[in-house]
Order: sequence, then structure tokens, then C-alpha cells
Amino acid sequence: MNLKAKRKKGNVEEGSSLHMVEHKSVGDHVADIVIYVVVALVAFACVIPMWHVLMTSLSDGKMAMAYEGLFWKWVGEFNLGGYRLIFQDASIISGYANTIFYTVSATGLGFVIAALTGYALSRNTKLKSPITLLLMSTMLFSGGMVPTYIVIRYLGWVGTRWALIVPGCTNAMFMIMMMNSFNSVPHEMYEAARIDGAGHFRTMWQVMLPQAMNLGFVIILNSVVMHWNAWLQASIYVPNNKKLWPLQLWIKQIVADNQNFLQNANPDYNRYLIQYAVIVAATLPILALFPFFQDKLEKGVIAGGVKG
Amino acid sequence: MAKGKTTTYKVPKISWKRDFGRNWPVYVMLVPALLFMIVLHYIPMFGIVMAFEDFSVAKGYFGSEWVGMKNFIDLFTGEQFLTALRNTVCIAVIKVTLGFVPPIIFAFLLSMIENKRFKRICQTMSYLPNFVASVVVVSLVQEFIAKDGPLTLLLTNVFGLENQNWLANENIPVFWIIFLLMGIWKGVGWGSIMYVAAISTVSGDLHEAAAIDGANRWQRLFKITLPCIMPTVMMMFVMGVGLSFSTGFEDILLMYMPSTYGVADTVYTYTYRMAFGVASNYSLSAASGLFQSLVGTCLLVGSNALSRKMTDSSLF
Repeated sequence: MNLKAKRKKGNVEEGSSLHMVEHKSVGDHVADIVIYVVVALVAFACVIPMWHVLMTSLSDGKMAMAYEGLFWKWVGEFNLGGYRLIFQDASIISGYANTIFYTVSATGLGFVIAALTGYALSRNTKLKSPITLLLMSTMLFSGGMVPTYIVIRYLGWVGTRWALIVPGCTNAMFMIMMMNSFNSVPHEMYEAARIDGAGHFRTMWQVMLPQAMNLGFVIILNSVVMHWNAWLQASIYVPNNKKLWPLQLWIKQIVADNQNFLQNANPDYNRYLIQYAVIVAATLPILALFPFFQDKLEKGVIAGGVKG
Repeated sequence: MAKGKTTTYKVPKISWKRDFGRNWPVYVMLVPALLFMIVLHYIPMFGIVMAFEDFSVAKGYFGSEWVGMKNFIDLFTGEQFLTALRNTVCIAVIKVTLGFVPPIIFAFLLSMIENKRFKRICQTMSYLPNFVASVVVVSLVQEFIAKDGPLTLLLTNVFGLENQNWLANENIPVFWIIFLLMGIWKGVGWGSIMYVAAISTVSGDLHEAAAIDGANRWQRLFKITLPCIMPTVMMMFVMGVGLSFSTGFEDILLMYMPSTYGVADTVYTYTYRMAFGVASNYSLSAASGLFQSLVGTCLLVGSNALSRKMTDSSLF
């Protein structure tokens, strides 16, 4: 925290001193305005598609279907009919529950493995280098989609929840990041804990891990986003078992079938809104959360880029 | 060199027995990761032998008939794989060249904004697409460039292009451009993080001195900022080239359709379709996957070596 405040202060000072020596011409001011406008436009372009979906989901079904172009605002009466429909739909509720279950269990399991490995690799043992090499080589070369599928098939995991939790729960990158994180904890902390008689598990869990949680949180956040948004594993391993489908596969299906309801004699136009409502419902939790963790996630990108 | 040698001699040699006696709990901690890596990464690597077999799940790795290079010959004499290979190369090249620059430009623009609050808000907004699931991003693309989508209407009414569902267009660069633009939309903000961080470490004194000497902002940008962040740019480029052939094609599975296989099919999607499609052929799929893995690894190692030779920076 201290360091951050210091850095911020430093930046402001640099900026202001630069300001004092720089004489801006008219052209510079014009350039300034252009830069502000361009950056703002890029930022808006990044947000507008989601805004469009949100506004469509709140529109009147029949009018939304006939409307062409971008939804700056909802069309017709403000309408929550689409949301009412998705929360009555048992399949979407089960998709939600599955996604939460997969995200929590895969992230939890993955973090435990990554933390244990990171701690073990940060200790001075004879097998440290060969094992690190063994882990890192999986980042360079992989067996590929089919051989992995075959192994999971032999394990009997195809068509079960295991295939969506275990294989993707962690990776060499997370382990190496945890190793770096434990390496940066002062060695005195470790020695003090060991001299006080703590075993390795206790030292790791109670003394070292709290100090190493900076990157630990980054790993957890990345893993949550990754699993929340994942669809490929489910489409490979549980394509026919709809009870196990995560939310993303339901979105895929609903978007593909969005015109089917019109075959009814008396169609309920709110059904047109379902695809938009479900996109909002699936995306909003992540989008609402990430600004709070933005600093940590940025740090993760920088740490991953430097060490990766 | 000499320094390194003396430090290695300082570490007292301990025997394996003492090492295990003292560190066995540490080794126990490694067991889950080793199991994970061996079962889910190393056995599949061994499983690549199925690319050289007429593999059937019932017969297993050792029971299936060995056919040598037959699967590879089938791949390279068939038409589908060669089309997929051409598309993969073209998409990768476009991604590495045209897709590489926007985050850098965006980072430069951000660095020139003095209002910290405005800058932060714009950054947050630009990160947003990175957190949207692929399924949702693709359905957004489908929505926006469908026959009556907002972007299609814009292209038709303002630029006079033919009204059509752009994703169904089979002409050569259309799908590639859509895919490139989708990637840029997803990654422009998130990809700029590294560059913004690198730019913020450039010393303010340099800029001040240059400004006193009368350098304007563009001169400072090209003579100070760009050279200072060049190692980062090189590193990202090496990583981009290294990963270009093997990653980032998953989204195409959601975007393409049989009528656009000619332009949208890639090695990755071909591998997927051969394995899990209607006519599944695990051996052919494994061969295609192995080809992709090998090219990917060669690119990664090669671009890294080149970067180490030409500049001082390398990934590993």
C-alpha cells in the first residue's frame, strides 16, 4: 500500500514538472483533444455491444424483434419478461448451479495443488530443478486434444463432472507463479517458523501462504474467470448429458434456437428476449466483480508476462 | 562465470538419503502435482503414438495396428487438411502482424492522457470484453453482422456494401477480417496492460530533459518511449509468434458453418471435427493435432532463440 502511494505521488510530481518545462502550442492542444476523443471512442466501442444486449433484454419482445439497428435504449415498454422466463426455466437454473459448482471446485482444487507445489518447489531440495523442468515442459509441448480425451476416457470420466473439474483445474503456469510467490517471502519467516517447531505443512499454511497470497489471489481470480466462461471442455466431455451442462452451453443452445418459438400458433414474444436475458444473467456477475479486482488482475498479467 | 562456480561450491553436498530424510514432507507435497502432470499431460504425450496407429479405443495403445506414417500421408493428400492449414497460416500471420499493433497504439494514447481519473475509467471499460465469455462474444458478433444487425446496416447504408450475413460470406479475406476484429475488440485493452506498465517505468527525467531541449511529444514518443519499451515489445512479439499457430482458434468452432469451411476451417477445428464430429477418426485427428503441436513448439523455441540472438530479451 505504502509503495503504491509513493509511486502515485512520484508520477504526479513527474507529470507536473514536465508540465512546467513543456510549452504547448495550439497544435498540441488540438492533438490532446483528439487523443481524448479517440481513447473515449475505443472505450465506448468496448462497452456498447454489451449495452446493446442489456437494452434489448429490457425491451418489449415483439417490437424488439421488428427493430433494426443498435439499441441505445429499450424499445417500447420497459419489460422484465425475458428475465422472468429464464428464472422459471429449470434448465437454466441447473446450468447456473453447475457453473457455480464447477467454478468453485476446480478453482479450489487447482489452488491447493498449485500452492502445495509452489511451496515445495521454493524449498531447497535436490529434486527441485528436475521437477521444475518437468512441469515447465508441459507449457512447451502438449499431447493435444485427442490423446488427452482418450486418457480421460480410459479414466472413466467422460460424461461425468470429473472431466470438467480435474483436467483444467491448474497448470504449470499457476504452479510457477506460486513458486515465485513463495520465493519472494523473506527467508527469515520460514526459519523462524521451523525453529519454533512448525512442520512443513503448518509452515506453509499458517506462515508462508498468507505472505504469498498476493499472487495467490491473482491465480484464484484468473481461474474463476476461466472456469465461469469455459464451454469447450463441456462440449467435448458431456455433450449429451444436459443435466451436467454449464451455463455457457445453454447460452449456445438458446442463441441457436432463438426463432423456434415462432412456430407456436400464439407465440409469446418474451421468448425472443430469453437469449439476451440469459447473456446478461451469465455475464453480469463477472463484469460487476472485475473492476474491484482490476489492480490485482493487472499485476497478474505483468507477473505472468515477465516470468512466463 | 567464476562467480557462479564459487557459489556452487559453497552449497554443501548432501546425500540423497539425507535429502529424503530431511525433506520427505516437501516431496509428499509434490505428489498431487506430479500425479496431475503425469496422468493428464505426460500420458497423453505418450498417447501420441495413436497418430501412427489405426487406433481403436477397445484395443488400446498397444493392441491397435501400427500403420506408420499413413495418417500423415492421408492428411497431406486430402484437400480438407490443406485448406485448413492454409487458413491457419493466414489467420496466424494476420493476427501476429495486424493484431499486434493496436494494443501498443492504445497504450501510447493512454500514456498521453494527463487526467488520471479519465484514463482509469477508459482502461476499465476497455478491459471489459476480456471478461466476456467466448460463447457470448461470438453470439454478439453473430448479432451485429447478421443480415439485419447494426454493423451490417451501417456498412450497407453508409459505405454502400451489399446487405448480407457477413459470417456466411465465403470470399477470402472476409472471415479472417471478422476474426481479427473480434480478437482486437477482445484484447485491445487487456493487451495494453504490459505496454502501459512498461511506459510507466520510463524515466520522467528523460522526458523533461528532452522537453527542455524543445522536443515535441511525437519526437519524445519515437525517440524516448518507443526505444525504452522495445524489449517489452520484442518479448510480446516473440510470445505472439510462438503461440500464433497453436492457440486462439477455439472461438472459430462457434463461428464457422459447413458452407464457410473453405475460409474458416483451421487445423484446430479440423482436429476437433475429426475427433468429435459425425465421422470420427481418432488417429487422423491425433495426427493433425500432433502436427499442430510440433509446429507450435518449433515456432516458440525458434522465435525465442531468434529474439535472444537479436536482442537481449528472451522468454526462457
